[in-house]
Formats: sequence, structure tokens, C-alpha cells
Amino acid sequence: MNERSSPDAPWPVRTVARKIGEWIGKLGEVWVEGQLAQLSTRGNSCYLVLRDPAADISLAVTCRRDVLGEPVAEGARLIVRARPDFFLGRGTLSLRASEVRRVGIGELLARLQRLRQLLAAEGLLDPARKRALPFLPRGLGLVTGRASAAEHDVLTVSRGRWPGVRVRVLNCAVQGPNAAAEVIDAVRKLDRDADIDVIVIARGGGSMEDLLPFSDEALCRAVAACATPVVSAIGHEPDTPLIDLVADVRAATPTDAAKRVVPDVAEETQRLTQLRGRALRALTGRVDTEQRGLAGLRSRPALADPAVLVRLRRTDLHALSERAARSIAHRLDAAAADLDHASARVAALSPAATLSRGYAVVQHIDGHVVADAAEVRSGQRLLVRLAAGRLAVTAE
Amino acid sequence: MSEPSEGSRPAVELSYEQARDELAEVVRRLEAGGLTLEDSLTLWERGEALAAACQVRLDGARERLARQAPDEEPGQS
Repeated sequence: MNERSSPDAPWPVRTVARKIGEWIGKLGEVWVEGQLAQLSTRGNSCYLVLRDPAADISLAVTCRRDVLGEPVAEGARLIVRARPDFFLGRGTLSLRASEVRRVGIGELLARLQRLRQLLAAEGLLDPARKRALPFLPRGLGLVTGRASAAEHDVLTVSRGRWPGVRVRVLNCAVQGPNAAAEVIDAVRKLDRDADIDVIVIARGGGSMEDLLPFSDEALCRAVAACATPVVSAIGHEPDTPLIDLVADVRAATPTDAAKRVVPDVAEETQRLTQLRGRALRALTGRVDTEQRGLAGLRSRPALADPAVLVRLRRTDLHALSERAARSIAHRLDAAAADLDHASARVAALSPAATLSRGYAVVQHIDGHVVADAAEVRSGQRLLVRLAAGRLAVTAE
Repeated sequence: MSEPSEGSRPAVELSYEQARDELAEVVRRLEAGGLTLEDSLTLWERGEALAAACQVRLDGARERLARQAPDEEPGQS
């Protein structure tokens, strides 16, 4: 058989099949890990389908019944030592297993711990990455099991709180070998949907194995890569699959998730009205206080009754004028008294009294009183003042 | 309203607080007395103008509040 095939010298099917078989045989013995997707036993042989938990790829595995030992539950994690076996007859490939080991719970938990540290090291669990949920989501994406209690809870609670909420539900397997891949697919679909601004992944309670898909590395990375905020509501309160650590918000239960994502609109409206009422009352109170203050100022006499100014002035004036009058009266009296006194003295000093007793005063023309006869020359005119009247006389 | 002696701004231009504070000062000075009759009258007129300005502001505030009264409820969202 020449080395190369060509259109002129094609190889027969058996040759090609044999060559493929040789190539495949070159892989040799391998240890492979996967999740048991199917198991059927016929006679002394077991036929398994081993599936990669993180990818939609599986391989057929055959082994003798005693190699498998006691029956294995679907979804169980297995580690198999096998060789590739190419069945020439039909050109089919399967792994011939010589040893099948179950991955125990302890091993699984240890694996989770390692994965957790890996994710943490990459900063995927960093709180700073957590995004806040939108206060009022325009569209809520829900990834959950078909007609599951979780789906029911999320839908009824969110619609109860806000009848206007729009929910897009993607149902998928939430346990078993296909769960992780299906959830990843659903989450990516919702993440791409521009109308969805929050994604909730909800699942009811379940055993450790049931919840294992939600600690799957690929799923955790898919959630971490989401642009849309993700809320994980997996299992009951104590359950914390790795997805809880990667999601933006961890809700204890599906109902709790609905409460965190959808505000209670009636409650919000009521709070709004309360706030508006309080603001208005505070302001009205302020205006009232200012009004009272202003009224107080305006009622002060100085302002309210300006006449008081004039009245004050008038009373002052009145008091002053009274005093003035009194002092004048007083002075007049005093003056009158002085006058009397003075006139009394004048009267006393004045010759009138003497004249009235018959005496007379002789004066020169110029009014000088003649005191000495010698002063007068004969024929000089003199005035003689009597008690009543005067005489003009000529001296002899 | 005659221009008050210290040439302060017309009452309507003052802020509410300024008008109210000056009003309080006017009342204090009027009550303290010791002013000429003319100054007292001028001061009194100033006080009235200030009081009127304050009242206008308060009425305006109350009217604006009344416009936002809570019973005028916004539509349910």
C-alpha cells in the first residue's frame, strides 16, 4: 500500500479506518474526569456517557461490570483510567475503562476550596467589583428551573411589589451534568439582552451534589464576566455555592432576591408622600414663626402707634409750656413784688407825701432843685411844685 | 417715603432677613428716643416700609407653599 492516497489511487475504507485506529491508539492510556451523564448495563458490559461539566462535550465509555462496581448515580463525578478504543466495524470511538473511581464529597469540597482561592486570587470575589442593583429595573432576567418553586416565588413576589415589572424567564436544568452549561448559556443570553438590567439566578434547596453546578468554575467565570448585575439565590440560607461569591448580590432565597430587586412601589410612594408632607410642614412652620416675629415687631408701640411719638412730644410740650408759664408767673409775681417794693420806696422817698403835707419844691427851669436862695437871681423864673400841680414864678 | 438719613437701600430691594433686621433696629432706636421729631418721623416711615416689604415676602412664601399643597397629589406612578 503506497504511502499516499490520491484520487487515482484512493485507499479503501478498511485502510482508512485502520489508520484512524492506529492514530487513535497513539493516545495511549489516560486518566479522565467527567460527570456520569448516562449509564446502561447489558450483560457483563457497562456503557457510560461521561460528560465534561464545563462544556457540552461527552465521550462514550465502556467497561466490564466488575470494573464499575456498585451502581453510580447519574451526575456523579468520576475519574476513569481508559484507553481510546476505535471500533473498526462502524468507525465509532469509545474509551475502554480499566478503572473507575468516584470523586468523594471530601474531594469535591477540597476542589471547591481550591477553586475559590483561585477565583479570589484573580480578584473575581473582590467586593469592589460588586455592582449596585438598579433601583427600579426596566427588565428582570430570571434563570431558574421550569415551573420550579423558585420561579413561582420570584414571579409572585416581584409582581406583588410592582405590578409593572417586566420579567424574562429562561428555564433550564438546575441540577445534574447539564445544569452548569445551560445556566451559563441562559445567563449570557440575558446579559446580551439590552432590555434586561438585572439577572436573578434562582434555585430551591437541594443536596450538595444538586447545588454543585452552581460552584462550577465556568459558570462562576461567566457570571463574573456579566455586564448586567447578577443576583444569586441558590438553595437555602446556609448554602453558599461559589456563584454566591461571584454574583453582585447574594440573596438568601428566591423570595429575598425578588425583594432586593423590586422595590415595593406602594411603600415607596407612601414614603414619598410622607417626605413631601414633612417638607411642607417644616416650611409652613418657618413661615408661621417669621410671621409671628414680624407681627411682634409691628405691634410695638413705636411702630404701631406713631401718634405716641407726637403724644409724647405734646405731653413734653405741655409740661414745658406749663413750666414756662409757671416760671413766668412766678417771675411776674416777683417783679410785681419788686415793683410794689420799689414804688413803696419811691413813694416813701418821693416828695409827694411831703407836698401833700403842704410843702413845695422849687426848681430851676432846667429841673434843678433850688437848695440855696443864693443860687437865685431876682427876676429868675422858677418852678414851684405843689402837691397838686405846678406854678411858674419869678423871683424878686 | 423719604430717603432715610443714612441713605440705606429702598426696603423692597433688601432681602427678607436684611429688612427684618433693620426693622428691629428701627424699633429699638424709636423706643430709645432722643431723636429729633423730624428724625423720629422719618425713622417711623422707614419702619413701615420695611414691615410692608417683609409682609410681602411672607405672603409670597405662603402662596408658593399653598401652590404645592400635599393634597394636590401627583398621579400614582
